[in-house]
Amino acid sequence: MIEFKNVTKVYEDGTEAIKDFSLEVREGEILTVIGPSGCGKTTTMKMINRLIEPTTGSIYINDRNIKDYKINELRWNTGYVLQQIALFPHMTIGENISIVPEMKKWSKKETTKRSDELLEMVGLDPSIYKQRKPSELSGGQQQRIGVIRALAADPDIILMDEPFSALDPISRVQLQDDIKKLQKEIKKTIVFVTHDMDEALKLGARICLMQEGRIIQLGEPKQLITNPENEFVKDFLGNRNSPWQITVDHISDKNIDNIIFASTYPAGNYPTQGIYVLVDESNNFVKLLVNGETVNGKTIEYDMTLYDATELLEDSDQPLFPVLKEQKVVGVLTYRRIFGYLKSKADKENGVIR
Amino acid sequence: MDEFITVFQNRQDMLLETTLEHLQISMVSLIIAIAIAVPLGLYLTRYPKAAEPVIGTSAVMQTIPSLAVLAFLIPFFGIGTTPAIIALVLYGLLPILRNTYTGIREVDPALKEAATGMGMNSIKRLTKVELPIAMPVIMAGIRTSMVLIVGTTTIAALIGAGGLGEVILLGLDRGADINLILLGAIPAALLAIFLDLILRVFERMSKKAGIKSFIAMLVVAVLIVVSPFMFNGSKQPDLVIGGKQGSEPEILINMYKLLIEEELDVNVVLEPNLGKTAFLFRALQQGSIDIYPEFTGTAIVTHLEDQAESNNAWEVYEQARQGMKEVYGMEFLEPMEFNNTYAVATTEEMAMQYNLQEIGDLKQIENEITAGFTLEFNDRYDGYVGMREVYDLNIADIKTMEPGIRQNALSNGEVDVIDAYATDSYMIELNLVTLDDPENLFPPYQGAPLMRQDTLEEYPELEAILNQLSGKITDDEMRQMNYQVDYEDRSANDVAREYLINEGLLDN
Ligand SMILES: Nc1ncnc2c1ncn2[C@@H]1O[C@H](COP(=O)(O)OP(=O)(O)O)[C@@H](O)[C@H]1O
Ligand SMILES: [Mg+2]
Repeated sequence: MIEFKNVTKVYEDGTEAIKDFSLEVREGEILTVIGPSGCGKTTTMKMINRLIEPTTGSIYINDRNIKDYKINELRWNTGYVLQQIALFPHMTIGENISIVPEMKKWSKKETTKRSDELLEMVGLDPSIYKQRKPSELSGGQQQRIGVIRALAADPDIILMDEPFSALDPISRVQLQDDIKKLQKEIKKTIVFVTHDMDEALKLGARICLMQEGRIIQLGEPKQLITNPENEFVKDFLGNRNSPWQITVDHISDKNIDNIIFASTYPAGNYPTQGIYVLVDESNNFVKLLVNGETVNGKTIEYDMTLYDATELLEDSDQPLFPVLKEQKVVGVLTYRRIFGYLKSKADKENGVIR
Repeated sequence: MDEFITVFQNRQDMLLETTLEHLQISMVSLIIAIAIAVPLGLYLTRYPKAAEPVIGTSAVMQTIPSLAVLAFLIPFFGIGTTPAIIALVLYGLLPILRNTYTGIREVDPALKEAATGMGMNSIKRLTKVELPIAMPVIMAGIRTSMVLIVGTTTIAALIGAGGLGEVILLGLDRGADINLILLGAIPAALLAIFLDLILRVFERMSKKAGIKSFIAMLVVAVLIVVSPFMFNGSKQPDLVIGGKQGSEPEILINMYKLLIEEELDVNVVLEPNLGKTAFLFRALQQGSIDIYPEFTGTAIVTHLEDQAESNNAWEVYEQARQGMKEVYGMEFLEPMEFNNTYAVATTEEMAMQYNLQEIGDLKQIENEITAGFTLEFNDRYDGYVGMREVYDLNIADIKTMEPGIRQNALSNGEVDVIDAYATDSYMIELNLVTLDDPENLFPPYQGAPLMRQDTLEEYPELEAILNQLSGKITDDEMRQMNYQVDYEDRSANDVAREYLINEGLLDN
């Protein structure tokens, strides 16, 4: 979808910000770009909507060089969310959201409908908020508007440059959850720059870890965690990753011992001892089997953090939880796994546990 | 207070007219200044390298005294509204230019980037984002400029552009008449407040209705203000006669007009009360006036930068006439009788107390007295410089001041002697005594019509017509006529007509 081919960027003052950079962002994925400050994340991102031009190399969107698009149209179809939020202070919320649709000559009716829809999507009542000025909103609310302003004209691509780093921790988590939810509904291609590893892990389908203008490792979160390319990656993950922030699919038991196909027991004569997860042919979750009896049981979404998952488990005496990704069983979480994982994360130094 | 109300009632018509003129000149200047400075400021934000020199230049222009700017402009644009507006525009540029530039530059870079990133082109970004955000700053610049312009417009009266400055100058000329000065100054201040209010309303409306409607409103304002000028220009005068500040020149030029229009079928327009001598002379050279009464002494000393070779009035006139012809190609027709020379004047009591009769008599009290001289007199050979040399005077304390306020300073006792013009009307009103000049230090100052040669070639009859006044009007007659205008509030035209009829120069 978006492809960097051997891109370099040397600024006028001689700073080599990006060095021989090739990367493909897949259609509909959230790619989080992370790395230490000054490693070239912003530069990379701004080259996509041509706020910065590469020194050499080319960038393609849908196999077409971005220079061959009209620059306005390229930008209208590329939503842009800034760290500084940058809502226009002299316009109402409604006007801020309508800017790109208006430039794209949408009808008034369409524009209104779209902005109402978007406001509702992020939980802000249009009848209240549309007429307000940005300064009347909290920081978290403002950046929600920042996000839906970028979404307004239904672009294929959304670029976000550390969009939540100026927000308080609570708003930040809320907005991260919103983005995840939105992404499930709208399936945009999102390039999300962050310097916060937790955020990168939580949001990225894949993570692109950069250092000094180069990609050090590109892969799914669990690949980075389980297979760090080098010490730098390990340090970067280790330093920032609280064990509680990991998503459950990283620690779930992928062993299929406890998973059985319902079709194997057409007469319903299931094993009468033990706990099993029943699935159908395409691995979709059916039911839980406890000592021969089928029950609905609790399930966990694969991208839930361990912390959130334990809250769910707390008031349940179920010993085993199926981990689901789009209804398919991708693993099983047990208390034993959680203990094992947490112990492996505990730092023990000179006999002192931290 | 009562006095002020009386003055107000007497001058209502003049006040209304000058206020409207003032408003018009200020508005046109302001609008032109906006029309130049805002686009220029915007342009500079896109080419910041040029910004410093351009803004620096406009800052320098603002430091030049307004009188100097006017003097500089007369050779190119003459007198009247045009040079006044040009000068005012130059004055008004800086605040608008600087505020537009900084206002736009100070728009948060993140907002500019957001606008660009959303796909706005440069113009859209400017009109939708940068201008509205910078608007309060730009408007503040416009308001500053407006106050500056409305204030400086009072100077425009010096070059015949009209406005409330006329009232103020008249007040200054009439011995710093506080009531008249206030009558000019208060409406000028009210005008500034009123325009400030309008601009605020303008700003609020533009905030609601957007930049496009702001520009539309600006265009409408321009049309409203400029249209009277367009219709005004239809009737071109054949001859323009100018006159210096004060009642005497005004009476004289009214006589010229009456005499000329009696004989010739031409349209004569008067420009009385023009500022400094240099302004008039330049305007005559440049052609925006055709005739003005000048003094023989001034022609020699100021324009020819020479000294009178004689103290015989006719010889001085001949010297002036020939000089003006050779150096400037100008015709100096024959002078009238009265001699408005410099005089040194003091109060009757003073003269009695010290038995003062001649200028030289001041020697005995030179260490005790204070003199109030005009800047010009203090600096001229046929003034105080010559007094020191010829009469060996060295007055301990000299205060220099505007002509109009000398007589008050004298009657208040702040100064003991002043320089005066022999025919000034306050000589009568204040009972002043002039000291004799036995050494003939002050050359004769006889008034005579000065014009360019081409004017006389076009209207050869002028010589005969204006020479009818040759040798007419004595010192006393002139003083009396000045008195009637200054203190009895008669119009210069009436006084001039009356004199001409009495002399049989004009039919009733
Ligand atoms: N306009 C610029 N001119 C010169 N150097 C720049 C400019 N913008 C960024 N840089 C430099 O390029 C490098 C990468 O910057 P950036 O992409 O902003 O990093 P990041 O977003 O990862 O913090 C840094 O060393 C930065 O100092
Ligand atoms: Mg950055």
